[in-house]
Amino acid sequence: MGRVLRGLAWAALLCLGGCGAAPRAAAPGPGAPIRFALAQAPITLDPRYATDAASSRIDRLLYRALVRYDAAARPVPELAHWKEISPTRWRFRLGARGRRFQNGAWLTSADVKATYESILDPATGSPLRDTLVRVAGIRRILVPDPNTVVFVLARPNVLFPGYLTVGILPARLLADGHRFDLDPVGSGPFAFVAWPDQNRLILRRRRDGQRFEFLTVRDPTVRVLKLLRGEVDLLQNDLPPELVRYLAHRHGIRVLREPGTNVTYLGFNLRDPVTGRLDVRRAIAHAIDRRAIIRELLGGATRPANSILPPGHWAGDPDLHGYPYDPALARRLLRAAGFGPGHPARITYKTSSNPLSVRLATVIQYELGQVGIDVHIQSYDWGTFYGDIKAGRFQMYGLSWVGIESPDIFRYVFYSKSVPPVGANRGHFDSPVADRLIDAAEASQDLAVKARAYRRLQAYLLQQLPYLPLWFEGQVVAMRRDIRGYRLAPDGNYDALIDTVRVSPRAAAER
Amino acid sequence: MIGFLLRRILAAALVVCGVVVLVFALIHLTPGDPVEVMLGESATPADQAALRHALGLDRPLPVQLAEYFDGLAHLRLGDSLYSHQPITAILAQRIPATAELAGAAALVAVLLAFPLGVLAAVRRDTAWDYGSMGFALLGVSIPNFWMGPMLILCFSVWLGWFPVSGREGLASLVLPAVTLGTAMAAILSRMVRSTLLEVLGEDYIRTARAKGLSEGRVILHHGLRNALLPVTTLLGLQLGTLLGGAVITEMVFSWPGVGQLLIDAIHRRDYPVVQACVLLISVTYVVVNMLTDLVYAWVDPRVRLAGRDG
Repeated sequence: MGRVLRGLAWAALLCLGGCGAAPRAAAPGPGAPIRFALAQAPITLDPRYATDAASSRIDRLLYRALVRYDAAARPVPELAHWKEISPTRWRFRLGARGRRFQNGAWLTSADVKATYESILDPATGSPLRDTLVRVAGIRRILVPDPNTVVFVLARPNVLFPGYLTVGILPARLLADGHRFDLDPVGSGPFAFVAWPDQNRLILRRRRDGQRFEFLTVRDPTVRVLKLLRGEVDLLQNDLPPELVRYLAHRHGIRVLREPGTNVTYLGFNLRDPVTGRLDVRRAIAHAIDRRAIIRELLGGATRPANSILPPGHWAGDPDLHGYPYDPALARRLLRAAGFGPGHPARITYKTSSNPLSVRLATVIQYELGQVGIDVHIQSYDWGTFYGDIKAGRFQMYGLSWVGIESPDIFRYVFYSKSVPPVGANRGHFDSPVADRLIDAAEASQDLAVKARAYRRLQAYLLQQLPYLPLWFEGQVVAMRRDIRGYRLAPDGNYDALIDTVRVSPRAAAER
Repeated sequence: MIGFLLRRILAAALVVCGVVVLVFALIHLTPGDPVEVMLGESATPADQAALRHALGLDRPLPVQLAEYFDGLAHLRLGDSLYSHQPITAILAQRIPATAELAGAAALVAVLLAFPLGVLAAVRRDTAWDYGSMGFALLGVSIPNFWMGPMLILCFSVWLGWFPVSGREGLASLVLPAVTLGTAMAAILSRMVRSTLLEVLGEDYIRTARAKGLSEGRVILHHGLRNALLPVTTLLGLQLGTLLGGAVITEMVFSWPGVGQLLIDAIHRRDYPVVQACVLLISVTYVVVNMLTDLVYAWVDPRVRLAGRDG
């Protein structure tokens, strides 16, 4: 019997030990692939279908667009310079830079036309079509010569160039029905190498051949452990604050933090008898100690928000004054609204099942409880939660807006007629004043005047609180010491990989 | 035996058809509109209607179900709403990873469970028994989402023996297989112990000992062999679970298998993929259970003859 057991034990040990003799990850030298850990895999590498953040950020590396945004969300030339030749005609002239596709073909105006017409074709099923047709107002696209594209619009739109941020695809491949989602061909600074599985995407920097691997590791703890062991070189965002603090003190790891533009807010149902009352919403605003939450829970470069547009946005307002933490005032406002110790306000707070969102909900529940608001948290998986929010099945919810660039968002979110499915006015905010301000801001074809109108609108929204803006999430990146040149972008894009290099261990140790 | 086999296959086919109808109905009852998911919530009703028509979602449900069955018969499961790739191609990419992990986990489980179960039964009420069953209790109690990171911390970060995560070579298989296999080993070892204890009290064991056979031979040839039947059933059920996608373990170890695909699809409301994954899991269960029954019948003639008697 003993012999049998010993035999089985040895078999187990051999099986586990024999196949697992992986050496400790050795320090890679310059030129070795730079590995970037992602929390979510990109869904598609075809820019016509990309709506998730990971796909959009990777697509920016693979493709070049006519236009991109600067730090103040102003459109700036990428492939083309533009001129408004009439209120409904915009001419784009392609420059010399970035026009060689990965397959060697030269990017021309025909490629631009084919890309946009493909998106505008309902048969393509692109989620971008609606914005280009309904919001941007594209009616026709003309190509007078290989370097010029003219967009004819249905109506004047001074913000028009800002909509042309889609990566350009080669017309010939589009005509052939090429699968860009599997085999992307763009003129961006990076070229596609392979996508062996959903968790591993390999790109090559065209300038110097440096390889980059994007590894999807969903569990944040495992992502951090991979960084510590040297299996990845960089990871960005989607980390609990305690893991960021832990990494900041680890030898061989550098942590950088920068302010971001993604805004977290509380949304209210304005048809609800409790959250529909302005005094209750103001009481909630005064009862939440945002600075304490940022300091103790979020940390880093997170900053309080008073609007959904960041203060650095060209239409943003840095002079907005929000609601200071004042629990006594919150109690008074609640009393004025008819709520008190014997008759507390009861609010259901819906949130996603994201651990940080649930933790924040718990803190907010406690803080509102301190002023006499009885909060019941309901946490759901993303699909159910988002479905409820879109359908208006909520009293109060917590969510973020990611990647806001254009002030068109105000019509989409706050205009009285923008209730789902037309827009995202999920709380049924119905204010003639806001509607007038939005109309006025959009009617102006002068950017300075437009910016002033949007600032007036933001001040009004802060007063009325259809949303309570909480904070702009800080950006954070953790990287190994031998990685140089990576910078954080306010919207979290990966564009800085263009300049990212791995230095020798000696150089890494010296600096 | 052939009659038994045909009966089981027919029953399995009926179960699979039932599952297809049930999954189809449930998916269509779930709140949410795939067209809205694809086009975004701001798309015009006209655009939504056009895409709904293009996808055939505006047709009556029985027609859609019939077409789904037709697609299944031709091994067509549709395209992912997000990646626009054929689902059969996506599954073909994921199934080998899950099968590899399930096979390795089952091996770990068997290699751990049998020695522990036998040891506990043979050394009943001794420190060996308590130690083995203590291990079993721990194995069942420790959740995979905790055990996985602990194994990574110990064997990857501190000792540097295995990669932290991913599917790159045999070494990357060890930690997820141990994580997944340990819980299964715990359940199996308890079953081995209890059935072996029962068998060891039988008259024929006493007879074998009286004949002067060695204790090892008595336990292995007479005891363990007879105790294998219920263990085989349990192993089959567990293997079905593993093949269906060990969701948590795949998430922790970034293992690109069916479980991870299913979770991603649920989060994105990628209904055709969810439908295909659930169907695959159900079919896997049915097939594995059928195979278990067949093995059972092959090992124990009383099983295949029972239908005839009844």
